[in-house]
Amino acid sequence: MLMHALANLALHPLLAVAEHGAEHAPAQPAGAPELPNIITLLSHRFHDVPFIAFLHHWENVIYAFTVAIIISIVAWAATRRRTLLPGKLQNFLEMVVEGLDNFIAGILGPEGRKYTPFLGSLFIYIWCMNMFGLIPGMMSPTGGKNGINTTAGLAICVFLYVQYSGLRKQGVVGYVDHLMGNPRSVVQWCLVPLNLPIHIIGELAKPLSLSLRLFGNITGEDVLLAAFVGLGIAATAFLHSPVGLPLHIPFIFLALLTGTIQALVFTLLSTVYFSMMIAEHHHEEEHAH
Amino acid sequence: MDYQTALSLALPFGLALAAIGSAFGLGKAVAAAMDAMGRQPEAAGKIQTGMIIGAALIEALTIYALVAFFILQGRIGS
Repeated sequence: MLMHALANLALHPLLAVAEHGAEHAPAQPAGAPELPNIITLLSHRFHDVPFIAFLHHWENVIYAFTVAIIISIVAWAATRRRTLLPGKLQNFLEMVVEGLDNFIAGILGPEGRKYTPFLGSLFIYIWCMNMFGLIPGMMSPTGGKNGINTTAGLAICVFLYVQYSGLRKQGVVGYVDHLMGNPRSVVQWCLVPLNLPIHIIGELAKPLSLSLRLFGNITGEDVLLAAFVGLGIAATAFLHSPVGLPLHIPFIFLALLTGTIQALVFTLLSTVYFSMMIAEHHHEEEHAH
Repeated sequence: MDYQTALSLALPFGLALAAIGSAFGLGKAVAAAMDAMGRQPEAAGKIQTGMIIGAALIEALTIYALVAFFILQGRIGS
């Protein structure tokens, strides 16, 4: 019975959508089950239309822009008529922004509040993208086949901004000094050839680990959901019923938890990278005095 | 044994090994953080932040194994 159900799993039309999509891009690895979204369904139905093929090719970008547009519209609607006694939406957004501001100021100190616009939007954007995949017909731009491009883009933004603010804060000499491990004694100067490559590789490894962590978590969560949806359909396949068992419901709660934690972790680690780049020089001066 | 068989045997085992390692690491980190929180409840916020950073860094190693799994999964074929 179970073996029969598992054999049906690969043949079922719902999962065949994912496999069909993979046929058009032979370079992509097939296999991992994916929940269908509006674009893959359209591409399954009209795969000869060039516009649909274009949509299918850029689906991560399209969904990422959709999320950004939704966030922008909500923010615009909330701040259109600002009042001293805020309405529901303005109240909620003020609570979110204030919470993020205090959270970041708690790590970076009061002068770190100027990084709140960047880090806070990062958190809200990533959280919304992670949650977007749980809406039927939508997908998480951070997960799926090409999700690594979205997360790598975000991580590269963080990397560039961290390096820029380090250069801005410490100056070129202080920045190179930081990369050499702040050599002050003869022994420390002798260790510079060892320290410099280690620090440079460490800086380059940060965006890599940031992007891979977010991508791996969200993709794993999406694949888990898709696998259990497929199992739920396969369980009732012998009845030829179009509706399956909702076996994936417990994993939706898991996905809510993972999505929130990963958005928080991405923001938290970016904040810590900022604090490492900015606060280091500060501490040195304090010790010198 | 062709490479497809080797991959389909080795990939789940590799992922399981990575998961065991990070489970031990996470267990130690979270246990120590809970200990510290129980002893000093007023510092719970700071300890929790540190714990989440540490947990994310430990967990990242398993996620690398998962990403390798996703990449190599396509090679198994059907």
